[in-house]
Amino acid sequence: MATDQNARNARAKRLRLLTTILQYAVATLVVAVVMFPIFWMIISSLKTSEELLRPVPSLWPERFHWRNYADALRMAPFGRYFFNTVVMTAGIMGLQLSIGSFAAYGFAKGRFPGRDVLFILVLGALMIPIQVTFVPIYVMVAKLGWINTFAGLIVPNAVSAYMIFMLRQTFKSVDDSFLEAARLEGMGRFGLVFKILVPMCKPTMLTVGIIAFIDGWNSYFWPKMVTTTSARRTIAQGVYELKRSYAGLETMNQNQIMAGAVMAVVPIIILFIVLQKYILTGFSKAASK
Amino acid sequence: MRVDTSAVPSGRTRIRVPRYRKRESVKDFLCVAPALAFFAVFVYYPLADLFRIGFTNWNLIRDSYKFVGLKNYKWLFHGSGLGTWLSSLRITFSYTFWEIAITLIGGMLLAALFNRESKAFAAMRSLVFMPKYIAVSTSAIVFMWILNDQYGFMNYLLGLFGVAPVSWLNSEKTAFTSLLILTGWRVVGYGMMIYLSAMKGISKDYYEAAQLDGANGFQRFRFVTLPLLSPTTLFLFVTTFIASMKVFQSVDVMTDGGPYESTNVMVYWIYDLAFVQFRVDRAAVVAGVFFVILLAFTAATMKISNKNVHYDS
Repeated sequence: MATDQNARNARAKRLRLLTTILQYAVATLVVAVVMFPIFWMIISSLKTSEELLRPVPSLWPERFHWRNYADALRMAPFGRYFFNTVVMTAGIMGLQLSIGSFAAYGFAKGRFPGRDVLFILVLGALMIPIQVTFVPIYVMVAKLGWINTFAGLIVPNAVSAYMIFMLRQTFKSVDDSFLEAARLEGMGRFGLVFKILVPMCKPTMLTVGIIAFIDGWNSYFWPKMVTTTSARRTIAQGVYELKRSYAGLETMNQNQIMAGAVMAVVPIIILFIVLQKYILTGFSKAASK
Repeated sequence: MRVDTSAVPSGRTRIRVPRYRKRESVKDFLCVAPALAFFAVFVYYPLADLFRIGFTNWNLIRDSYKFVGLKNYKWLFHGSGLGTWLSSLRITFSYTFWEIAITLIGGMLLAALFNRESKAFAAMRSLVFMPKYIAVSTSAIVFMWILNDQYGFMNYLLGLFGVAPVSWLNSEKTAFTSLLILTGWRVVGYGMMIYLSAMKGISKDYYEAAQLDGANGFQRFRFVTLPLLSPTTLFLFVTTFIASMKVFQSVDVMTDGGPYESTNVMVYWIYDLAFVQFRVDRAAVVAGVFFVILLAFTAATMKISNKNVHYDS
């Protein structure tokens, strides 16, 4: 009887071990498949054109052909793209965070007639994407002379309804007594928002800030509409522009195109690895709303 | 006869708002004013303008235009635009269907697979999640290389299994599938992460109770996990729906809406009408109708789901 029990325990243990091994194996396989395009991008960027076009592709370059990177940089003004992207992203982030924080304070803690009705207008804006309204916005921006300018890239994205929504939820959870105490000490709106609410809601601020950064950095649709020359193009367009600059000879220059892609992707991958904790909490927060 | 009523107290007593309170209200309002002004200028005005442009015959080449009534609507619903519109709608909805299916089903399966507490699994989870943060345009270029007819890795891999080379992006049969391969790669990890974070929130008590009732692993998943995840599924459904209806980048980079309009999704078509054909008037009508469709579907989803979603109370 006892041995029977032992045998059953042993079998259960073996089964558990087997499931664990299987789980690890399948998970590793999934990770390998998902990571393959990134691996392939890097590997291809280091091959010579001859090695690149072999009928049986090599999984590792014979020797690292770093020149592709220099060649890619010569074919497209990546420095300019980076500069444009940094300025645009910083502008969007700064404006979204500052205007958004004030608005979130007003909607969460402010008292004025029509507050909740006006908030519906903010929520409504979530339902009107720029992909629907870009024609009139383009016309307006063109009339202002903002085509190929930072103003044209930044201003139509200066406020995010999503961010106001998220910040309002968080600011609401801050107890009024903190604000009352600060107000008694003669603190103004500016202080209430930036000295009390923002520091108290730091994790959320970080999350929405990172999301604003990534969205800005990767934005493609509007920058494409509002730029016509490489003077103000951004990095998300940059690799495509690089590819087009080979007009007809893309295939044999895929190594250089992939080098451009690596340069475009590296900053965001580093950022993702460093800040993923905040990105993840941000998403679970969004999902629980 | 006129009666002087100024001395008579009126029936309703007016609540006097103290002046300092009024001033505070104005200051509070000023906090939201910049955001509201922005939405007025860059969201609501353009939306109204969109419908106005739709009644004109404006193209980007001419400066002047005149109002032509319903002409553009006739073109769309009862003219040469109808065929393209219907096929674009079909393509867009089909794309959305697949993106939602991949996010929900793939995300759920991966969530079940990666639901294990260990450092290795945490690291693997973030790797699967990462593609979402790489610009679609850049990923698209990498996938174009992998899907290259002659030298792409995909065809080489298929060749090992004896499959003849597929001309992925150059055939109207497979261009759409190629888009979905990129999309699947991008979104499946996102679905997984959202489901995993929701699964963490489910109390262990439910599983213990189910186990006491003799439920096996599958039954626990089917009758405990799945219903309790329904708010998450709704969240993913609605956000993925809105995001995927707006698909543009991958189409712009990989297929230009082709071959033979087989990937001509709605936003790409609107863009093409406005900036390639310069028919701003038609683009405005298509965009306006598209907006109405988006709104109607989102509202319908919310209405239906309010009845069917289980909330853990």
